[in-house]
Amino acid sequence: MKRITASLILTILVTLSLVNAQTAQTGTNGKSATNSPVTLKLPNKQDSVRFVVIGDTGTGTHQQLELAQVMLRYHQVFPFEFVLMMGDNMYGGEKAVDYKQKFENIYRPLLDQKVKFYAALGNHDDSNQRFYEYFNMEGQEYYHFKKGNVSFYSLNSNYMDKKQVDWLNEKLATDTTTWKIAYFHHPPYSSGGAHGSDTKLREIVEPIFVKHGVSVVFAGHEHFYERIKPQKGIYYFISGSGGKLRQGDVKEGSPLTEKAYDRDMSFMLIEINDKQMHFQVISRKGETVDGGVISNPRKTS
Amino acid sequence: MRINPVLAIVGAVALCLVTVHQSAKGQTAHVLSPNEKQIAETFEQRAKAYTKMREQLEAQMPKLSKEAKPEEIETHKKQFQERVRAARTGAKPGDVFTPEAATYIRAIIKDEFKGKDKIELRDTVLRESENKEVPLRVNYPYPESQELLEMPATLLMRLPQLPKQLRYRFVRSNLLLVDRENGLIVDYMTNALP
Repeated sequence: MKRITASLILTILVTLSLVNAQTAQTGTNGKSATNSPVTLKLPNKQDSVRFVVIGDTGTGTHQQLELAQVMLRYHQVFPFEFVLMMGDNMYGGEKAVDYKQKFENIYRPLLDQKVKFYAALGNHDDSNQRFYEYFNMEGQEYYHFKKGNVSFYSLNSNYMDKKQVDWLNEKLATDTTTWKIAYFHHPPYSSGGAHGSDTKLREIVEPIFVKHGVSVVFAGHEHFYERIKPQKGIYYFISGSGGKLRQGDVKEGSPLTEKAYDRDMSFMLIEINDKQMHFQVISRKGETVDGGVISNPRKTS
Repeated sequence: MRINPVLAIVGAVALCLVTVHQSAKGQTAHVLSPNEKQIAETFEQRAKAYTKMREQLEAQMPKLSKEAKPEEIETHKKQFQERVRAARTGAKPGDVFTPEAATYIRAIIKDEFKGKDKIELRDTVLRESENKEVPLRVNYPYPESQELLEMPATLLMRLPQLPKQLRYRFVRSNLLLVDRENGLIVDYMTNALP
């Protein structure tokens, strides 16, 4: 079978000056979540697919709330339609009060503005979260949905069994969408000192991603942000500091790291229009800590 | 009957190549012997028998919506636990993991995790995991505060297949069967780690 080499070009926009920058509010010192500057460096086109990626959120702490407040402020200038959650949505308990304290109370302003959350399950999550109204999982631990020309595959990396692998293979085989994105909790590649790459998971899922033209993979589990150097043409991101931070955990000089940020909590803003995926990573202080654009999604090989 | 040694060597090499190829693809490399097949089937039947029982109990309960409120999720889980616990009074270790099944599963795990993989698995389960407080009691809930440690994907490809309602979970050196909806520990086997 002829293998079509995927062509992906990543341009790191150091200054990000080629895209429209919008400033909604400029704080006096930019050092707290409530008054930090909101500087958008994404095209922000109306017909784009716009969303956020967060992970490992479910602590219910003041820090999680602060990051959510920064998200809300960015939503005012960049009206993202939905949020992808990388799992560990609820630490330490699954009672009704936990759903409220660790999710609803934190993201209420976004929920009120009809922002939808699409969750994946982590190693701290009860399977019953798949029934929760605000996680939009349709009662499934792994599921698929489309937005414009983008296909999303939310997987349960905590239990990647044969049934799930078969489902993923079958679903991807008939998917003709331009962009195929997979997201789940455990990172196949990571420079984290505490966990590191999930090689057993990678052994199973990466050949499927390569075969079926998955371009981008988002994961969490590690409590920091990392952009991995492209692996077999696929861009891997870790966004796992939405509620917890493992400061200084990224191994210095890791050959996997293209860019990492482990000094504070963060989330990712993503915009996909036609053949480009723009991303901007925002810290709890509202600072942009990474950004760039991925061009030309991969094709099925 | 004499076996041609050349053919035997060629056959062995071919078998090794197939095994290596399959392993690289992350698929089951081991072909089950009739005895292993029998043990696996018996184990799977016992798992299915539990699942059938709990499905019947769940069918008598109000169905949980796909857009459920947190209170509904909590209530459903609690009631489901109570019903299954009552129906399984007297359940004991080994009801599903028979001694034969446990021996068979131990062998699979040992074969899957060798050298560096074995060290990493033991390190993850015995040192890093946040589930060491899980009490080892059949027909009792797996505490919600405890981590549901990820099951290695390559191992799941090799272990006997479970109904979707059941999950394998490592806790300390044990392998548990946990019901994913009601959270009950259905059974466990000891000395599971290589």
